[in-house]
Amino acid sequence: MVMKSHKKVKELTGGKIQLTEGALYPTLHALEAQGILTTEVVNVGNRLRKYYTVTSSGKLMADEKVNEFSDFMNTMIFLLDLKPKMGKA
Amino acid sequence: MIQLSHEQVAFILEDLKANGIHSEELQLSLLDHICCMIEEEMTPEQDFVNFYQKVVPRFFKRDLREIQEETDLLLTFKHYYAMKKVMLISGTFTAFLFVIGAFFKSMHWPGASFFIVISITVLSFLFLPILFVFKAREVSAKRDIITIGIATVFGILISLSALFKIMHWPGANVMWLSSLGILFFLFLPIFFFGGIRNAETKVNTIVSSILILVACGILFSLTSLRNSKWTDESIHHIDDLLQSSAQLSNEVKPSSIAKDSASIQMIHESSNIICQNIKLVKDHLISKIPTNELGLKEGELIRIYGENLETPYETLFNEAGKPIQGLVSLKQELKSYEKLIKRQTGMVSIPFLETKDTHRYGDPQEELLTWEETNFSHVTLAVLLRNLNLLMLNVRMVEKISTNS
Repeated sequence: MVMKSHKKVKELTGGKIQLTEGALYPTLHALEAQGILTTEVVNVGNRLRKYYTVTSSGKLMADEKVNEFSDFMNTMIFLLDLKPKMGKA
Repeated sequence: MIQLSHEQVAFILEDLKANGIHSEELQLSLLDHICCMIEEEMTPEQDFVNFYQKVVPRFFKRDLREIQEETDLLLTFKHYYAMKKVMLISGTFTAFLFVIGAFFKSMHWPGASFFIVISITVLSFLFLPILFVFKAREVSAKRDIITIGIATVFGILISLSALFKIMHWPGANVMWLSSLGILFFLFLPIFFFGGIRNAETKVNTIVSSILILVACGILFSLTSLRNSKWTDESIHHIDDLLQSSAQLSNEVKPSSIAKDSASIQMIHESSNIICQNIKLVKDHLISKIPTNELGLKEGELIRIYGENLETPYETLFNEAGKPIQGLVSLKQELKSYEKLIKRQTGMVSIPFLETKDTHRYGDPQEELLTWEETNFSHVTLAVLLRNLNLLMLNVRMVEKISTNS
């Protein structure tokens, strides 16, 4: 659920990345339009709730992006001669 | 945990709508999110409206509308990267193809038009419109978007008019002039006065405006919309000569034929000398064409360098603007030839052999030009060679008529 994601991001980054509660919706809608996410709308009493699921092509794309980013980070670490405290490099 | 009532849910929905969340999808997502937060965090004693107003600011940095705007932007611009790629590829393609086309055109190789048409079409209908979309996204003020829009229209029109001009299609001049009109009366005023108000962009705006003006001035003077007055005059002169030659060839009388064989011999000799002289001038001129290493013939030269304006003048006139010796002696030969013919045949007027000074356009108000200036100065290579050839033909025609050969 989207509501929980904000808290998780805040927890995982030790408060360094703080999203506003509405920050994810534009991206979620765009990802849905691109077919990376599918949604399921469920009736919960007096309103509707939307559940987002990553599609199989979305998962592939996510892996690809994560790899790309990790490559980029490794290159940067190498180029800037950083001594990382975490990660594989 | 409390449960929000239908009225409270309806209240939140109305508030979302009132604050610029217009897409139903987004309303649905935000509504549930807000309701969940309130239900989780609000105690039964707290006032719903107050609590709601405290919760909502956690959703945005500026206002609720920004979520909708960001969503719209991402949805309408999901092809951002693809468009950027298309723009860069089409731009490189256009530049590359245009350079090839221009090179082919200057070498008179086949296929030049194909490259030029394709490159300018891609530039006008793909690259420039996409560039507009990207540039318009970088600015927020309506005025800036309009300026970029006008600049795009100007760019498209000027490239198309160049295309039409190169291809000799109708409408090129109208397009060219209207693009200049857009530049001077719409784009430059908006760009200039918009830019100098801001201290940060003032110097850049002034420099860019000067560069644009200079570039367009150069383009305008290079794209001569009509022939130079010298070329015009020279062409009229040729027409006059042709007309009088045609007239003379129709009005030959037996009395205009030289009587004795000695004078006929003189006429033949004199004609030969003049034609020899004309040939010498032509050869001298052709040898001075700087790029004629291939030793091209006269016809091929005219086809390729016919528009060359500098070489004829520099070759036939010295730095002080005086004609070279070859032309001066040709003029003298023609004068004596004219006298000889008149004396031997009794012809009264032979207009195309006359070498006296004339006024430009035949208008006494205009400046007086020498025979050399009228025929050979400030004209293109093609016109000049045409003048010399016509002169040779006329001399030969007079020779034939007056000797009845």
